[in-house]
Amino acid sequence: MNVLEVNNLRVSFREKGKITAVLDSIKLAVEQGSIMGIAGVSGAGKTTLLRTLNLLQEPDSGRVVFDGIDITSVTAEKLRRLRKRIGVIFQSYNLFRSKTVIRNIAFPLSIDGVPKKEALERARAIADELGLTHRLDAYPSQLSGGEQQRVSIARALITNPRMILLDEPTSALDPLLTSRILRLIREVNSIHGVTVVIVTHDMDVVKRVCDKIAYLEKGRMIFCGPTHDYFSQYYLSATHDEHAAEQLEKAKKILMKGNGSRLVRLVFWGEATGEPVLWKCSTGLDVTVNIIYGEIEEFRHGPFGTLLIGVDGKDSAEFLRRLSLSVYKMEVLV
Amino acid sequence: MISELTRATLESLYMIFVSGLLSIIIGMPLGVLLYTCSGSRRLASVYRAMDVSVNIFRSIPFIILILLLIPVTRHVAGTIIGPNAAIFNLTVAAVPFFGRLTENALNTLPRGVFDSAQAMGVTYRQFVFMVLVPETLPEHILNASVLLINLVTYTAIAGAVGAGGLGQLAINYGYYRFQWDVVLYSVIILVLISQAIQLLGTFLSRALRR
Repeated sequence: MNVLEVNNLRVSFREKGKITAVLDSIKLAVEQGSIMGIAGVSGAGKTTLLRTLNLLQEPDSGRVVFDGIDITSVTAEKLRRLRKRIGVIFQSYNLFRSKTVIRNIAFPLSIDGVPKKEALERARAIADELGLTHRLDAYPSQLSGGEQQRVSIARALITNPRMILLDEPTSALDPLLTSRILRLIREVNSIHGVTVVIVTHDMDVVKRVCDKIAYLEKGRMIFCGPTHDYFSQYYLSATHDEHAAEQLEKAKKILMKGNGSRLVRLVFWGEATGEPVLWKCSTGLDVTVNIIYGEIEEFRHGPFGTLLIGVDGKDSAEFLRRLSLSVYKMEVLV
Repeated sequence: MISELTRATLESLYMIFVSGLLSIIIGMPLGVLLYTCSGSRRLASVYRAMDVSVNIFRSIPFIILILLLIPVTRHVAGTIIGPNAAIFNLTVAAVPFFGRLTENALNTLPRGVFDSAQAMGVTYRQFVFMVLVPETLPEHILNASVLLINLVTYTAIAGAVGAGGLGQLAINYGYYRFQWDVVLYSVIILVLISQAIQLLGTFLSRALRR
C-alpha cells in the first residue's frame, strides 16, 4: 500500500516577472514502511519537492495523495490536521529558541491538548531514547548541531507520525555522526514502521538507507525505482557519479596499453555477489580475464558489487554470453 | 518647590505608564494583525490600507495631533486639559508607533521556525501565542522601552498645552517665570526616568534572550 502518491506535479516560481518551472511532471509513490530517497545535485528541486509533500509549498498543478486523501484539495482545517501525521526534520532544525529541549520536544503534544504532565513524560521518554537525557533543560543555542538535530527528530517522532520527511539530514554532520543518524533512521523505520522520505545530495546516504530512489535533474525526475537498479543503470553518467566516470577513464587507459581486448562492467546484487562467477564462466574456454577494478558496497538490502574486467581470447564471445546470464547486469564498454 | 516637583514627577509617571500600558495592549494586536496581513496574499489589500493609515498617523507631529484631536478628546476624556486628556492623546499617537515596532519585531521570526510550526499543524491562535510572540519576546521588551522613552518626551510636549506633569512645570515656572533651576531639575528627572526605563528594558531583554 502506498502512504504517499504524487501525480503530475508541477511547481513554478515567479522571478523578475518570469515564471520558471522548478518541478515538472513529477510522479512518485512511497510504499508504507519504506525509505524513499530524493536525490540530485543542488538546485535540482529536491527541497521544493519535499516541501510540496506536506504543502508547505503549494503546487501549480498535480495531486499529492497522503493516506488516500488528495491534500491539494482539502480545506485549510483538514490540511492542518493531516499535517500532524507527517513529521518534518528540517535541514536547519528550526527549533524554538525560547523553549528548552524538553518543551521543544513536547510542543506537538501541547498543541494537541495532551495534559502537560503526560506530554512531558512522553517527551522525556523519547529524549532518553535519543540520548538527550542530560540536555533536557538546555536551550537550543546551547546545543551542538548533532544535538539540535536529535531534538528535531524527537520533536518529529513524538506524535507517532505515519511518515517523516527529512531534508539533508547529514549535510552538517561528520562521518561518525552521519553513521549514527543513518542507523537511527533505519531503526525508526524498522522498529516503528514509520515511512521515511529523505532528501539528500549524498549518494552514499541513498546506498546505505534507501529502498528506493527518485533522482531529480533540473526539476524533472529521471529515475524512480529500487536503489540497486539506479546504481546498476546510471553508473556511467558523469553527472550522477563523478567518481565512477573517473574510474572508467582510468580503466580505459590501462586497457589501451594492451592489445584490442574488451572492457566489460559487471554488476552483482544480493547473494550472487559471493559466487566465483568469473571462474565458472571461463571454465574450458580460451579466454584471459584481467581484473581492473572491483568493489563491494553494503546497500540497505545486501551487497552490491561492481567489477571492471578486460577480456581477451578467441572464446570471448561465448564467455560474455555465459557471464551475462549469471550476473545482475553486464555492460560491454569498449 | 520640592513638593511641586514630586507632584509633577508622579503626574508624568502616571501619564507615561498608563498611556504606555494602553498603547501596548492596543498596539501589540495591531502589530500581529499587520504581520498576519503582510504574510497573506489574500489580505494584501487590507495590509496596504493599514500600512498607509499607520504611516499617516505616525507622520503627524504630536503637538498638531493634540490640536486635531481636541473635539474627540473632549468627548472621550470629558476635558481637554489634565493628565487624563493627555493619556488619550498619547495613546492615539503611540498605538500606530508601537504597532509598527511590533510588526518589525515579529518579522524577525525566522522563516524556518514559521515553517516548522505550520508543519506541526498549529492553529492561528496557537501560532500567535505559543510561537510568534514567545519567540520574539526579547524584541518586544526592547520595543516597550523605546515606546516608554518616547512617551517621556511626548508627555513633556503635552505639558505645553496643559497636560500637567514635569513638562508643564518646566514651562510655567521655568520658562515663563525665569526660574531656570526648575527647568534644570525637570530635565534631570526626565533624563533619570528615561535611563531607568532603558536599563530595565535592556536587562530584561538580555535575560530573556536564549
